Amino acid sequence: MSRIPGIRRLFRIERDAADIQRDVDDELRFHIERTVEELVAAGRSPEDARREAETRFADLRAVPRRLVEIDRGRVRRERRAEWWESLWQDVRYGGRSLLRAPGFTAAAVLTLGIGMGANAALFSVVDGVLLRPAPFAGLDRVAMIWETDRASGTTREPASIPDYRDFRERVRTFEEITAFTPLELSLSPDAADPERVAGLGVSHEWFALLGVRPLVGRAFTAEEDMPGGPRAAIISEDLWTRLFQRDPNVTGRTLRLNDVTWSIVGVLPRGSDFGVLQTLGAASYMRGFADRGDRVRVDVWLPLRPAPNAQRGNHPIFVAGRLAQGASFTAAQHEMTAITADLEREYPQENAARGAFVEPMEAVVFGDVRQALLVLLGAVVMVLLVACANVVNLQLVRSTARSREVIIRTSLGAVASRLAQQFFVEAAMLAAAGAAVGVSIAFGAVAVLRALAPATIPRAETMAVDGRALLLTGVLATVIAVVVGLLPTLRARRLDISQSLHAESARGAAGGGRARRSLRATLVVAELGMAPTLMAGAGLLIRSLWELRAVHPGFDASGVLKAEFQLPATRYPIDFTNASSATARLGFLHEVVERLSALPGVESVALATANPMDAGFTSSIRVIGREAEAENWPEPSIRTVSASYFETLRVRVLDGRAFAASDGPASARVLIINTAARDQFFAGREPLGAQVNLWGANRTVIGVVDNERIRGLASVAPPAVYMPLAQIPVPSAVFVRMEGSDAAVAAPLVRRVIREIDPQLALFGVEPLEDTISGTLAQRRYTMLVLAAFALAALVLAAVGVHGVLSYAVAQRTREIGVRVALGADAGRVQAYVLRDGARMVGLGLLLGLAGALALSQAMRALVFGITPHDPLTLAGVTAVLGGVALLASWLPARRASRVDPMVALRSE
Amino acid sequence: MLKPPNGPRVYIPINISGEQVMRPDLDLVQGTLDVLVLKTLTWGPRHGYAVAHWIRQTSGNELRVDDGALYTSLHRLEARRLVRAEWGLSENNRRAKYYELTAAGRRELTAESERWNRYTAAVSRVLRTA
Repeated sequence: MSRIPGIRRLFRIERDAADIQRDVDDELRFHIERTVEELVAAGRSPEDARREAETRFADLRAVPRRLVEIDRGRVRRERRAEWWESLWQDVRYGGRSLLRAPGFTAAAVLTLGIGMGANAALFSVVDGVLLRPAPFAGLDRVAMIWETDRASGTTREPASIPDYRDFRERVRTFEEITAFTPLELSLSPDAADPERVAGLGVSHEWFALLGVRPLVGRAFTAEEDMPGGPRAAIISEDLWTRLFQRDPNVTGRTLRLNDVTWSIVGVLPRGSDFGVLQTLGAASYMRGFADRGDRVRVDVWLPLRPAPNAQRGNHPIFVAGRLAQGASFTAAQHEMTAITADLEREYPQENAARGAFVEPMEAVVFGDVRQALLVLLGAVVMVLLVACANVVNLQLVRSTARSREVIIRTSLGAVASRLAQQFFVEAAMLAAAGAAVGVSIAFGAVAVLRALAPATIPRAETMAVDGRALLLTGVLATVIAVVVGLLPTLRARRLDISQSLHAESARGAAGGGRARRSLRATLVVAELGMAPTLMAGAGLLIRSLWELRAVHPGFDASGVLKAEFQLPATRYPIDFTNASSATARLGFLHEVVERLSALPGVESVALATANPMDAGFTSSIRVIGREAEAENWPEPSIRTVSASYFETLRVRVLDGRAFAASDGPASARVLIINTAARDQFFAGREPLGAQVNLWGANRTVIGVVDNERIRGLASVAPPAVYMPLAQIPVPSAVFVRMEGSDAAVAAPLVRRVIREIDPQLALFGVEPLEDTISGTLAQRRYTMLVLAAFALAALVLAAVGVHGVLSYAVAQRTREIGVRVALGADAGRVQAYVLRDGARMVGLGLLLGLAGALALSQAMRALVFGITPHDPLTLAGVTAVLGGVALLASWLPARRASRVDPMVALRSE
Repeated sequence: MLKPPNGPRVYIPINISGEQVMRPDLDLVQGTLDVLVLKTLTWGPRHGYAVAHWIRQTSGNELRVDDGALYTSLHRLEARRLVRAEWGLSENNRRAKYYELTAAGRRELTAESERWNRYTAAVSRVLRTA
């Protein structure tokens, strides 16, 4: 068999249907004639002989048909086998010729792999997060109804229960309204340690409004949603599996939550908490478990059971509604604005400065994520286009070099279509290898993206490289194979077999045309232009993160371990008007501090209502004597801390004193403010000794402390007031400062001590406080990571592009370079000559890219922290890195050029 | 339709000693005919008429084969690559299709002949004891 594809076919005899029929007829005619001859020779008459010959066939008419059928099948099989054979031949030949050019092959496969991998990965992300239909039908008609506060400028606040009732009564643009609130519950299973679960208190309309249907059992009834009604609970599919092994008769069984027994009435399917985390995370406060920073799943639904005498000044619930038939979000916004304006007039005290903000649920849940992902998807398609351009470019380089091979094969009789098949097989092999590399890149990338996804990205856990992503990769690979295979095919068609080999090689040396060369250079400049844009984006985010890490949060987290819990009201009753009656709470407080402090290695122990990276809740205050100036004052964050808090977290006391053990439940009520509160409420006046009315009691300001950045490192601290935990005993976090800086060692100690004090209490969020801070940067880190990955891809592609084009140029000009060397140019001159070409492209690309980077940086203003969006250091760094890499990519071919042996070069042409 | 006089109904059982001896897609009588055709071709290429003639002569006109079945056999053997066909010139200079054994055909013949001999021997042994 020929080693060169396309030759053998010349000698094959084509057989079609007519040939087969004719052969069969000829064969049978011959047989009958011979039989007749034989019989006639034996003395029979010709007519008799012919009859006899025909009767020797059982059914003469059927025979030709049967034979043609058999032969057709045979020919078909032979053709198929031959086709496979030729394909296999092409694959082997393609494999050999690809292996002969390992540089080209590696560059092409890597380039395509990066391009397709990035696409598959991002497609998986977009598909998992955005494209899949929401689990709830008609989510596009559901809106969040936030309350707004003109005083503090917040637009996404929870509502009060009386407001919610008034909304229900007055609104017409919503056909149904529901309320919900996050719950932190302590679940005590019969046979295991108590654990922390996230719950959602919902009004009974919640299920029908969102279209959530229980897997088992039913939703809540109106009766269960009333205070004192039957205690009914609905659990998640996960909890049903974990605790009840998917028992179909789970309804009627019970659950102990915060020491109270609830009857299970239903099970909700997985995904029923879709968007809850993002909705809570969007709120200004009352974010509940959304503040844990993890991807918390809701495991328990309880009826909201709103109290009839709830305070209008208290805002514990979130309101959502489904638009009425024919109503629009705008109409709903108008109506809600009117309703809240009426309520403000009716309740000037509690509803001062209050309004409403109707926000489509999809906008709340997907928020900036949709925009960001679509932009990234656009970027990644560009990366793929550049990758294709790169491979086409490399293929152009190679196809010129292959002209000789094409001519030899054509002159040996290879048909054009056979050559085309060969090129396409080779392109398909490249594309397939690229796809394989791409898919492995995608699997790795998606695993990383899923693991690092911040809670703001809805259903990130469903991101996976699935069949759809693989299908997409397959389609991309096919398209790429066609495009990449088409190029040499078209080129081969132009080569005329009548041209002598010598003429062709001379033409090849002349360089394949100025137009094509400039096309290649343009492609490379475009690639070079994209790289700095993406790199600058990533650079700005990296710099912002550095700046954020350097921000002093107002406290010292190193060496501090944090653990959270929630004291159930059943075993730890509390009456806010008389703190000293809460003996169980005070006893718990005391014991925790005592026993933890006694442990070896523990420097100090503190308790508080919230960790210092949690904005907590706000409340209105009245500064006695300054009521007249209190117009539009924001509500300060209310924080209660134990006496040792400021010392343990090393929050500086700037004026007055910290809380002391003497600030007990029975002693005078005292207050400490942060500097933001001092500037807001006491501008220029003496705060110490002032009286502040908060929660119905006057409290004396005894100190001023440094601002803790409770809204995150990137936000300026809002005004905050601190009260002693002994006077408002609502602890929910404990902090342990260890000697030395390793806080993690305290984790088992804290767990053990708390279990000894109260075995029923579920601990959560046990981690070094530094990790808590770091967790608040997760979303930024994520965006940075994705952009950085793209930037790296763009950089690699650009380097491959520059290298490819210059290598080609050097290969093309070997003769010219040889002449120069022969005429006395030294290695340095030759290198400079090639590098100049590279530098021109790099310069142009960088110029383009920096302009792009400046444009992008404007769009990234919101993501940048502590530096200007056109941070010179970032831009300089990008220029240096890209310039360096591009010049290195140029230097390799330049070095090759300088090693050209003039004798060899001149002879080779 | 004329049947060959005393035309033998030759059966080769699927199982002779526990193992499958025939390809399931082959007609049983056809299978026997195939062996005979292969045997005919061991002395070199022949056309279909010569094959039919030889079988009739050699069996002393005991075995009379339907010519349609014979050609079906030849074409099937060709499709199975047990024989190879080529157009050539007959003894009296006419265009005729010649069949020739392939290496695979030779192997098939050896295997089938042996099986046939074992079968007839076994049947004879049984008949002798009776």
